Amino acid sequence: MNRHRRRNFNPINAPSLARWIVIIAFLATTGLSYVYLSVQLHHQGVQRRLLEQELIATRMQNEDAKVQFAALTSRTALQRRLKEGYLKMIPITEQNIVRLNSSARPAGEDDLQPVANQQGRQ
Amino acid sequence: MKWNGRTRCALVCVFFALLFSVFSYRLIHLQMVMHNYYSQLAAEKNVGRNVIPAERGAIYDARHEVLAQNVPVATIVADGTLINNNAALIPLLAASLHVPPNEIAEKISSRRPYVVLKREFPDADARALEKTLQDKNLRGIRCERSTVRVYPNGPMLCHVIGFADFQQRGIQGVEASMDQYLRGEDGYRYIERDAQGREIVLYRGLERAPRNGCQVYLTIDMGLQTIVENELDAAMRDYTPIKATIILMRPQTGEILAMANRPNFDLNLRSDAKPEEMKNRAIIDMMEPGSTFKIVTAAAALNEHRVTLDTMIFCENGVWNVGGRPLHDHGHKGYGDLSVQDILVHSSNIGAAKMAVMLGEQKFYEYIRRFGFGDRTGIELPGEIRGMVHAPRSWSKISITRIPMGQEVGVTPLQMVLAMATVANGGKLIQPRVVKTVIDDKGKALGVLRPTVVRQVISPQTASQIAQALRGVVSKRGTAAEAAVPGFTMSGKTGTAQKAAPGGGYEKNKYVVSFSGFLPSENPAFVGLVVLDDAHTKDPALNYGGTVAGPIFSRVAEQAARYLDLEPHEEIGTPATAGRVALTNAHR
Repeated sequence: MNRHRRRNFNPINAPSLARWIVIIAFLATTGLSYVYLSVQLHHQGVQRRLLEQELIATRMQNEDAKVQFAALTSRTALQRRLKEGYLKMIPITEQNIVRLNSSARPAGEDDLQPVANQQGRQ
Repeated sequence: MKWNGRTRCALVCVFFALLFSVFSYRLIHLQMVMHNYYSQLAAEKNVGRNVIPAERGAIYDARHEVLAQNVPVATIVADGTLINNNAALIPLLAASLHVPPNEIAEKISSRRPYVVLKREFPDADARALEKTLQDKNLRGIRCERSTVRVYPNGPMLCHVIGFADFQQRGIQGVEASMDQYLRGEDGYRYIERDAQGREIVLYRGLERAPRNGCQVYLTIDMGLQTIVENELDAAMRDYTPIKATIILMRPQTGEILAMANRPNFDLNLRSDAKPEEMKNRAIIDMMEPGSTFKIVTAAAALNEHRVTLDTMIFCENGVWNVGGRPLHDHGHKGYGDLSVQDILVHSSNIGAAKMAVMLGEQKFYEYIRRFGFGDRTGIELPGEIRGMVHAPRSWSKISITRIPMGQEVGVTPLQMVLAMATVANGGKLIQPRVVKTVIDDKGKALGVLRPTVVRQVISPQTASQIAQALRGVVSKRGTAAEAAVPGFTMSGKTGTAQKAAPGGGYEKNKYVVSFSGFLPSENPAFVGLVVLDDAHTKDPALNYGGTVAGPIFSRVAEQAARYLDLEPHEEIGTPATAGRVALTNAHR
């Protein structure tokens, strides 16, 4: 009985089959990876484009805000507001200014001016 | 041949072999032979060169106040080949763009791929429109981003700043002269689009980032400019001249601190401006300077040692006949002997003419040219003229007596202020400049412009003597007592020139009145010039430089001295505040 079964049994070339399975699996994985990565690249590209658009929009909003800021703080606008009474200026009279030294023009324009309020010192 | 299964099978195989051969041939033909042609065709359809526009640089004053900047806008464009729903699109666009629906319908039904629906559409509104289109799945409309130039101060400093056109090219003023720095360089990117027109980021090609324009910083101080503009507006109201100019300049460096002209225009509404309003008269208007030119005559005579300040010159008691034509002192008020100093203080025409005669034509001409008259000053503003100075060979017999008092020469207001700055600056002629520095988009200064001495025109001693003499002009005995500034020493010279008539000769009762001076006399912080063309006073006898331009200068200088924190001299008395002479049509 056993002898008869062994005679009808088709021998399987296991190493060869395993090799093919590995090759096919490798090719399938490579193909799927390629597709997956391509899709990922497209997806990243779309994300990148959206981010770029967002960045541009934010930059534009920033520019818009800067323009509005400049318009509202320009001399012309401030003078207009001064005339309308929204702003007030109190003139400092000559008597209230004390010069601590010669008022030669400082090297840096943003340097503090050597003046002090006389009343404040008393 | 037996028509059996084997034969039929062979025939089918042959048929398929032939069929696939045809396909293969076609594929080879398409992929290899026609490759370039179809690649080109595909590229034309799907690949495009996307221009990334550079941002135009901003303009600032010396204290970093914004004078010109960009505001983002969008151009709304329709692509007729992609529009999928006209019925929904038309009312939406009409409402968003504030354009009549029939106009929109006409434009988008043309099926052209590029139709501009609206220009300079606010960016925030464009973003809202894009979102609505996306939400409603409406295709064929896109917003192309760009910027437009805005000027926060409107008409203030309009002639100096100038403006740029819709393509962001500088047309006038600093916008034009510094255009190569301001405009930057556009970048680009090669992109591929899908069937719906969206960019396939994966296939991005060659790209280059844009280089934004540089920031330009001017020498103008808007604090001083405001003072000048306000006084100029008041002068226009009070004296209704046809044009007027005020310039303030730092004599040691040539920096223009303020420059204003009237008439002027609003830079944001430039399309409404008239050509006459757009002229920067400080550099393109030629005028006869009148008596302010006597500083050139006196400086030349002193520098050549033909006279000293104390040399007495006989002023012919008011009338000097020379070359068959009488030369009068103003008001026919006769002067006898006058010192050179008093010739300047009283502005004697005859005295000035005699000094020029002592010098001789050639020498006098040389000094006129050495002071910079007849040449462009080289300021960074477009359209500057040279003025008009004839060579001695073209002079008439009486030219040597007329030019010393500022006739027969044409000068620009800027040239005149430079001549006064030369006296204030120890005799050195400095090149004027309006641009302080240029900073690139990475914050690096491309070069800070240093003061340039053009030449030593007169010796420092001569300059000091002239400055000393000119102090008398604003004293009580001078022609411009009302130009004095309380608490400060000041030197200056008045000018009252009859207006040259277009057909030759002079126009009656029309004058160009001016005052040029500097303050303080010893170490000047600024030089200034006030010019009014055809000012109107109630009493024409008061239409003089000393009575009209002088007080304006005084008010400007007083405010400027406060602004610049100049220390007043306590020992100098406080004269009455300069008033305006009797009013004009505007207040009648």
